[in-house]
Formats: sequence, C-alpha cells, structure tokens
Amino acid sequence: MATQTSTSKPNTGVDTKSPRSSLHRQGWVTGILMVLPYTVFFILFSMIPIFYGFGVSFYDWSLLGDKTFIGLQNYINLLQDEEFHTNLLNTVLFTLVSVPLITVVGLLLSVMVNSIRKGQAFLRIAFFMPYVLSVSVISSIWVIFLQPYTGLLNRILRGVGLIQNEIFWLSDSTLAWASIVMATLWWTIGFVFVLFLAGLQDIPESYYEAAGLEGANRWQTFRYITFPSLSRITVLVVVLQTISSFKIFGQSKLITGGGPAGATKTVVFSIYENGFQTFQMGYASAIAFVLMLVILVISLLQTTLLRRFGE
Amino acid sequence: MLDRLYPYVVRIAAALFALMFLTPIFWMLSLSLTPESGSLFAGGFNVSLDNYKTVLNRAPIFGWMGNSLVVSVATTALVLLFASMAAYSFSRVRFPGSKVLFILFLSAMMIPGEATLIPLYLLMRDADLLGTRISLILPALAGPMGIFILKQFFDGLPKDLEEAARIDGAGFFKIWYRIFLPLSRPALAALGIFTFIGSWNDYVWPLISISDKAYMTITLGLPMFQSSYNQEYALPMTANALAAIPVLIVFLIFQKQIIKGIAFTGGKEM
Repeated sequence: MATQTSTSKPNTGVDTKSPRSSLHRQGWVTGILMVLPYTVFFILFSMIPIFYGFGVSFYDWSLLGDKTFIGLQNYINLLQDEEFHTNLLNTVLFTLVSVPLITVVGLLLSVMVNSIRKGQAFLRIAFFMPYVLSVSVISSIWVIFLQPYTGLLNRILRGVGLIQNEIFWLSDSTLAWASIVMATLWWTIGFVFVLFLAGLQDIPESYYEAAGLEGANRWQTFRYITFPSLSRITVLVVVLQTISSFKIFGQSKLITGGGPAGATKTVVFSIYENGFQTFQMGYASAIAFVLMLVILVISLLQTTLLRRFGE
Repeated sequence: MLDRLYPYVVRIAAALFALMFLTPIFWMLSLSLTPESGSLFAGGFNVSLDNYKTVLNRAPIFGWMGNSLVVSVATTALVLLFASMAAYSFSRVRFPGSKVLFILFLSAMMIPGEATLIPLYLLMRDADLLGTRISLILPALAGPMGIFILKQFFDGLPKDLEEAARIDGAGFFKIWYRIFLPLSRPALAALGIFTFIGSWNDYVWPLISISDKAYMTITLGLPMFQSSYNQEYALPMTANALAAIPVLIVFLIFQKQIIKGIAFTGGKEM
C-alpha cells in the first residue's frame, strides 16, 4: 500500500496518508455487501452448527427431541466406551500407516514421471484418474476386485506364483485394513502425485546443473537438492493427508461395512452409528467435538511446521 | 553401468505402475461388457451391452446422475460467485473489521465438516429441508477455501489494472465483474473443478440427509443399488461403469486443466 503514492486521482483531502483512502471509505458499503452473502452461509452452516453441536453434547438427546441436560456425562461415557476407543485406535493406526505410505509412493511416482519426457502425459493421466471417481465407485470396484476365487487380485497373485491358497481379504481384520489402505492409496495418490510433480517442476534446472558439475550422484542430488526443495510441499501433503485420513468413513462403510466384527470402524463411523443408527444425538456430538479438537491440533501443528519450513 | 541403465529402469517401473493403476478400471469395463458368468476370461470375447440395459432398467442411474449434476453445478456456481465477491472485497475494498472477518473465515478451514453432521441434521430437520437436494447444496456454501484461494490470486494481480477503470468512474462492484472475474479465469476454473469433484463425491452428508430414492445422488444411490447383489458381480460392476464413464470422459477431455487446477488449489490450500 505504501508504494502506491502516485496516482492521478485528485486528493480529496479527507485523509492525508493515502489519496485512495477516501475512495476506500466510499467502498465500505460495497465491500460489506460483497462479503455479506458468504457471511450469511458461514453463520448459518458453520458457526451456528459448531456452537449448537457443542451444546447438544451436554444433553441426553434422542432423535424425537427428548432432551435432558446431563453435563459432562457424555464425555465421561466416552472415556469408558471401549468401542469408541477401538475405533479411535483404528483411525490413528490407519493414519500412521496410510499417510507415510501415500506420501512416499506419491513422491516416488512424481520423481519417476518427472524424469520421463515421452509419455509423461499418459502417466499423469494413469496415476490421477482414480482420484476423479467417487468413493462409492472405487469401493465397489475394490470389493469385487478383492473377492476370493472370482476377484482379479487373487488371480493375479496366484498367476505370478505369489500365493498358493485363496486370500480372504475382507474376512480378516488385518487384511481388511490392508484392503482399505490399498484402495485408499489407489484412489487418492493422484492428488499427492500432482502436488509433488508441480513442486518438482518448480525446481530451477540450474540447481541440477550445479550438482552435476560438483559430481553429485543420483542419490546425493535427490537428497541434497530435490528433497529439500520439496520440504514445504511435503509438509503440506502430510498434513492434508493426516486430516483426511482422520476423517475416513466412506471406504470403511462401503468396502468392509466396518467389519469383520467391527474391526474396521473409525471415529466418523462412531459419529454415524451413534447419531443416526441408535439416535443418541448428544453422545454423537461429544464424539464429533473430540474429532474437531484432534483435527484442530493437527492443523495448528501444521501452521507451526509450515512457518518453520517456509523460512 | 547402473547409471546408464537407470533411465530404462525408471521407464519400465513407471509403465508397470501405470498398468497396475489402470487395471481395476479396465477390469470394471470388461466385467460390465461380459454377460454374468462369474468368470471374466472363460467367456471369451462375447462383448455385449446386456448388463447396461439390465442395470438401467432396474435402477434410476440417470436420475441419480441428474441429481448429482444439479447439486454439483449449483454448488460450484454459488461457491464461485460468493467466494469471488468476498475475496475481492477482502483483497481490494477493505472495510473496518475486514481483516478480523477474514481471519475468522480462515480459521474455519480447520473445522472438519464431519464434526457438524449432528447439528446440521437437526437444523435441516427443523427448517424442513431434510431430504431435499437444497439440503445438499447449502452447507457446501459455507466452505472458506474458495475465499482463501481467490484472495491470494487477487492479491497477486497488479494494482494498475483497476486504476484506469477507477478514473473512468467504475465502482468496486463493476471492477469486480468487468476486470477481476475475466482475469482470474484460471483460478476460478481451478476452484470450480475442486468444488465440483468434492460435491459430486460427497457421501456422508447425503447418506444422512437423503432417504427418498428419487432425490439420491449417484454417490449415494450406487451402493444402495449394489447392496442387493451378493454373489453377482457383473451388474454391480456395470453400475460402477455407468457412474464412472461420464466422469472419466470429462476428465480425459479436460485432464490438462483438471490436473493443473488440482495442483493450483492443492498448493494454495494451507
């Protein structure tokens, strides 16, 4: 703003700091009017729900609207609810496995594709394509893909001699989680890949030329030039993936139905079941508030990390 | 030696990965084109569209896609309109308290939509909107990401641009739609793509709000239709193909813009 001192607009003399501020003042009304439509939706569908939900979490609240104030009872119950603890642990484990995996594979794919000129467009399409499909489509594809006897995955694995017996992917809790991780990787890696690829293409060619002159080998070049240049994007990817992993629901609902025996249920699954299957609105709201807190903490950590890497 | 082989290793590895990524999609298409037999390769190459006819007879796939289209297009258009207006105001007009308001909106980016499902359900029920397509559009309009992305873009536009228009007596509103909107087409396209994909793929809120089959989106209707098939795979897979093909065609036509748009919005989303 300070550099914008020369302008052909005559100074109206209201404000001596900047000749444009009088115009700014005239614009206040327009400015407020232009922010207004969004603000209305923000208040109605973001602010009010947050406070309303927080309020509901202090009640024993049934679907029909019978409500009793029970203070912190929902939160106390949460501490003793073993099913919730399992679902929370499941979600944390899924996050701990899927985030590094998706980040590393996404980085690997982008580095590979970046070094290929001919056919790069095709590879980009191939890796990104699943991302545009909906969670329903990808889940159903994977359920059929993973079927024992008829599914393609077992056939391929048998064909190349990796397995002798049928694998019942969705009947064992560890394998069911592995299936969800595979499907999620296949579905969302395109996003991570595209972010890394954009980052790689921003690294100036001269860095690599300098490294070449110094006689750096391929690993050293990656370690000391490529990877540090991608640090900001890496933090961004890790944080975005962590948040979306924490919110996982669709894949678990649609691929395994939360099974076998509830082994693949997640935090959002808890909200869904308590809120809309047993209709304990108050209890479900308490879970939602805990989820919100966890994600808030991750987001704040992200801001700190990004700032540090940004320097 | 290893160094000279490296380019070939990379090419072969990339090709193998690409094959792996494309396999489920090709398999979906080939199952949908093979009459139900439980086995894909045994039947040989008798391609038929029977599965497609059967699925379209049994489920309102096109109706669901129509609902998805209405919801996603309306959401995208309104998000672009409201977000670009607000972003312009934050970037160029600045009124008392605008900075505080902007920070308030930004901090809402940390609030996951999943956390407000219960109150949203109760509010929509009280407003008698539950189960309608409008109930799917409204909450998406409160997302602050668009404002953030567009404000960053607007901040980067040179100030001289609007100077001339201002001398000619154009007001802020006119400058917004005459100068800023046309200039920010790439940013708007990127945000539009991001919003559209998000809206089209939304699953958990429609699952809670919509119970009438007629108002379901494809993302919601598809699993409902498929859940009635247990040991049959051709028809559920055909339903997947029907839901996926239009999306894949649009993606293949606009892939360059879509990928660039995702990189743009993703890189800005912080």
